[in-house]
Amino acid sequence: MNAIIFSAGWGIIMMFCSFLVKNQSSYRHIAAVGLLVLLAANIFDTYGVDFFHIDSGKMLAYTRFGFVFNSIAIASTLIYVLLTGRDIERLGRYTAEFFTLVFFVLCGVCLLSAYNNLLMLFLGIEILTIPLYILTGSDKRNLKSNEAALKYFLMGSFSTGLMLMGIALMYGGTGTFLLESSRLQSNLYHGISFLEIVGLLFLLASMCFKVSAAPFHFWTPDVYDGAPSVVTSFMATIVKVAGFIAFLKLCTVRMSVTSTAIDWKLIFSIIIILTLLFGNITAIFQQSVKRMLAYSSISQAGFMLFALFSMNEYASKGLLMYSVAYCLATIGLFAVLVKMKDVTFEGYNGLAKTQPVLAATNAIFLFSLAGIPLTAGFLAKYYMLASIIKTGTYTWVVVAGVLFAAISVYYYFRVIQAMYFKNGEPQMESFGRSFKLGLVVLAAIIIIVGAFPQALFNWLYF
Amino acid sequence: MAYLVPLFPLIGFLLNGVFRNSLSKGLVGIIGCGAVLASFVVSVILFLDVRAGGALAVQPLYPFIHVANFKIDFVFQVDQLSSLFLLIITGIGFLIHLYSTSYMHDETNDHFARYFSYLNLFVFSMLLLVLGANYVIMFIGWEGVGLCSYLLIGYWFKNTDYNKAANKAFIMNRIGDAGFLLGIFWLLSKLGTANYTDVFANVSNLTPTDITGITLLLFIGAMGKSAQIPLYTWLPDAMAGPTPVSALIHAATMVTAGIYMVARSNALYSLSPIAENLVAVIGIATALFAATIAIKQNDIKKVLAYSTVSQLGYMFLGLGVGAYTGSVFHVMTHAFFKALLFLGAGSVIHALHHEQDMRNMGGLKKYMPVTHWTFLIACIAIAGIPPFSGFFSKDEILAAAYAKNPVYWVLGVIGAGMTAFYMFRLYATTFLGQFRGTEEQKHHLHESPAAITIPLIILALLAFGGGFFNVPAIFGGGQQLHHYLSPVLTAEHEHEIAHSTELMLMGVSVGVALLAAIIALTKYARKPELNEPEGLGKVLANKWYIDELYDNVIVNPLLALGGFFKNVIEKSGIDGFVNGVGGFIQYSSRRLRLVQNGKVGTYILLMIFSILILWLAFWYQATITGFFQKIF
Amino acid sequence: MNSFVYLLDTVVTGNSADYVPIGIQIIFAAGFVATVMIATHLLGPKRKTAEKLENFASGIESHGNARQPLAIKYFLVAILFVLFDVEVIFFYPYAVNFKSLGWYGFIEVLLFVCFFLTGFIYIIKKGALKWED
Repeated sequence: MNAIIFSAGWGIIMMFCSFLVKNQSSYRHIAAVGLLVLLAANIFDTYGVDFFHIDSGKMLAYTRFGFVFNSIAIASTLIYVLLTGRDIERLGRYTAEFFTLVFFVLCGVCLLSAYNNLLMLFLGIEILTIPLYILTGSDKRNLKSNEAALKYFLMGSFSTGLMLMGIALMYGGTGTFLLESSRLQSNLYHGISFLEIVGLLFLLASMCFKVSAAPFHFWTPDVYDGAPSVVTSFMATIVKVAGFIAFLKLCTVRMSVTSTAIDWKLIFSIIIILTLLFGNITAIFQQSVKRMLAYSSISQAGFMLFALFSMNEYASKGLLMYSVAYCLATIGLFAVLVKMKDVTFEGYNGLAKTQPVLAATNAIFLFSLAGIPLTAGFLAKYYMLASIIKTGTYTWVVVAGVLFAAISVYYYFRVIQAMYFKNGEPQMESFGRSFKLGLVVLAAIIIIVGAFPQALFNWLYF
Repeated sequence: MAYLVPLFPLIGFLLNGVFRNSLSKGLVGIIGCGAVLASFVVSVILFLDVRAGGALAVQPLYPFIHVANFKIDFVFQVDQLSSLFLLIITGIGFLIHLYSTSYMHDETNDHFARYFSYLNLFVFSMLLLVLGANYVIMFIGWEGVGLCSYLLIGYWFKNTDYNKAANKAFIMNRIGDAGFLLGIFWLLSKLGTANYTDVFANVSNLTPTDITGITLLLFIGAMGKSAQIPLYTWLPDAMAGPTPVSALIHAATMVTAGIYMVARSNALYSLSPIAENLVAVIGIATALFAATIAIKQNDIKKVLAYSTVSQLGYMFLGLGVGAYTGSVFHVMTHAFFKALLFLGAGSVIHALHHEQDMRNMGGLKKYMPVTHWTFLIACIAIAGIPPFSGFFSKDEILAAAYAKNPVYWVLGVIGAGMTAFYMFRLYATTFLGQFRGTEEQKHHLHESPAAITIPLIILALLAFGGGFFNVPAIFGGGQQLHHYLSPVLTAEHEHEIAHSTELMLMGVSVGVALLAAIIALTKYARKPELNEPEGLGKVLANKWYIDELYDNVIVNPLLALGGFFKNVIEKSGIDGFVNGVGGFIQYSSRRLRLVQNGKVGTYILLMIFSILILWLAFWYQATITGFFQKIF
Repeated sequence: MNSFVYLLDTVVTGNSADYVPIGIQIIFAAGFVATVMIATHLLGPKRKTAEKLENFASGIESHGNARQPLAIKYFLVAILFVLFDVEVIFFYPYAVNFKSLGWYGFIEVLLFVCFFLTGFIYIIKKGALKWED
């Protein structure tokens, strides 16, 4: 409960700061402090210190896994704010509101990691996405940003409609909103309701939309490309991973109840293959690094879907690993991308000569995304593939995954090629030494997590 | 302590290699020579230790390959055989290093340092080869010397011919190495260990087929490294490298590796009569064959090269007939006089500004006295005239050969005669008579500096007196070397020949050698052979056309096959496939991109269709999975 | 195949028959609407004049094009009105259950009003309701 209340509360504080604090540049410091407080509060909660004993009436159920994920999300947001805080300020006059919305999004994230009731799932998803509609359009004078916001809103409401429809049908079928309940179990003895299955299919489609899994991914490239880069960075990482955590819970708890009778694996394998196909193949031909990263986020989502496919212990561990590897690497890439004046591949030409530190750290982030050993991304992919192998069937999905991972190396390495093997004078915004330091620390974390994954997993148990 | 021996050259290699652009020539020389000298000192200490009866020292350094039950450790073994080789390698190696500081002085700084770093690496690899306590470590060193020979033969890499010679050496060696490696694998698969002590202790677990197979495969390796028929052609071409390198390859390192390996494995070879006979036959054939070629060569270094091939043949003959001590002894004396010959030849070449053709030499006796006298000593030694060192070692081999089969002995004596003949032909053409070079060369003729002459003198003393280390019983000698090595060379055949017979054999071989030497001296001192040879001489001068034979029978067909694979199979087959996959993905990327048309309406429509399709897939999944199961 | 049969079972033995009344009602409702619309169209008298085709704007004569750009303030005020209006609806269930919820309910509603108020303060401070520039 700590994280939910603190994130909402600090959001309101940020809101009031917008007229109480006049100095523009102090907002990000306040936000950073807020995130630290939030992180501390969540860690307290992890070890059983709950400041607010509120009975949610089984609507929320806290797990160690959820807390650890909350910490990862909050820490990633902190890194995100520290690295790109200055660029957020450049976006316009509403910096404080920007951070407010970020905090509200985090509130949604915390709800999603703890929901035990379909209504809470809906509430979490909405709290998560509505601020994002605004953030997407936060570059008010930019037509592309406006277009993206409108598109996102239209399609997002469509998927929300699907979700509500699904939840309603499921309620009709079982008579309860709870993910797990005795009534659900007892109803199941009489056979799974037809409505439950149709509802789950609707819910599945709308969750696929939220995590941008094919064939519900169409909004992703347009929105990610149109939104201001700082927003894309946040949206493509923490928000997307939170969606996966919610999705995983839905799958492992609700779908697995029905899976005694119904095999979801075929549907998931179709979605996985389509996602990997669209994400990877389309990314190859992109000319803009930003749009390429949008497609890459789709393909990475394809890998994260593996966890939903296999639903075992490897899967949940792997998803945690993946969220760390993917969030950190993407945040780092976007932090550099935001500084670039030209975000096409040509814009990166010769970066290694003018900014060796940026180029080197960028290369490490790309290695991690491509899944090169010694980085966290490798282990993340490894866990995902291993989780499917553990299930014993559908090994062809693993084969496809490996093939698509190989294809992904092509477009990731195009950036490295541009930075290291092409000549050019990249134009960049100014940045300080602390920015470089931040990138180096980020790269170091990626490598350390890649080398000692137990450091992360031990947290799940101790 | 044994690890110090290879460590010093390794450090020297690293220092000279890494700092080659910043070190001065003097410093490079000091590092290069110093490293080997330090190894020599340690080797002497080790030798004295072993001699004093120190226990067999097997020193594990660290676990190298540990997979399940399969263990190969990085272990050094210092015993009688390896300590003797250590002395030869580091001692002669040091003299060659010293010599090189002067010989290579015309090179630029960084190339000078490169040369010395290679030289150190060479010594290091050879020491590793000798010190290793199992076949795997030996193989590492074995490959190392192959690599270094490649680097040094191609040292002047701007010359394409030299590069080809380097390639030839490397490839020939690799062919042999493949056999060696297969032999090791066979051994490992049968015994599970490659440690000498374990292997020799468990020989009884091997079937005769295994032993013959293993020994023959190992011998293929030895053929490559020690330049025996049919893999000998690289060694004469290896003359492309600087002369001290030739000395190093021929005397102290590399070519003796094969001898060392067979001597080391004597416990295996003695159990396989087939392998023993093959070794002896190949040895004597090589000895004779190379000697015939040497007779008609005009390049001073080529003559020496073929003489090495020939002498190596004698060593293998010795190994084949079970005279392991004799072979090792011959390795030692050969190291002395062959190093001396090469360094002397180098001195001559240096004085004549890289002139190697003997027909343009002559009469150097009065210009280069030190070189002349030391060279003469070496010639007498290699010709096998008592009491010079070559006599003792060669005679021991011949005596053992006689005991085994008199035919070997007869052929050996003929070879010895030829050896004396071509060596004195070389000597006479080079040092006697009148100078036949240009006036300018004559003007610059001078004795070489001290850094060259001192090694020559030291080696001359050794070439003269080296034989006294193992005086046979017949002369009342103590056969010290024989006794020293006997714990290692357990399979030594004690040949039983009456002393009178042995004396008679010696008399014949010495007589033949003397006769050949005198004929050569009288024939070539006044009237050197300047014209292009004809008839059989031409065939000999062209080395029996073996290179051409290899080219036409093996190399060209292989090249043609390679060309076919490159131009047809790879271009249209593999490249076509690989590029086709890439092209297909790029094409589909371009197509798939168009789905993303930016219209919300289209997107939502597609999403609805997708939901419907997913539903259908879900509903009929039993049918779908059944269908796929039927297909696959 | 297993699952498929299972699904069929649900459909057959389940409560699909229970939905028959709903289906009938849908058909009836749609039919009623259609019938009424067609009937009025056919039965009603028709008199077409220019005035009748005019846009009806509370009896005031319309001027020019209706799609004129309006000041954003109108939308802002309107949307804020809707927002607060909708929130106020939450008071109705509270009013109905006032007694049964007791002090606990009272505190919760107070909290709700506080949040409400923060939003309102924010709007005022941001000047969203300031009509003149």
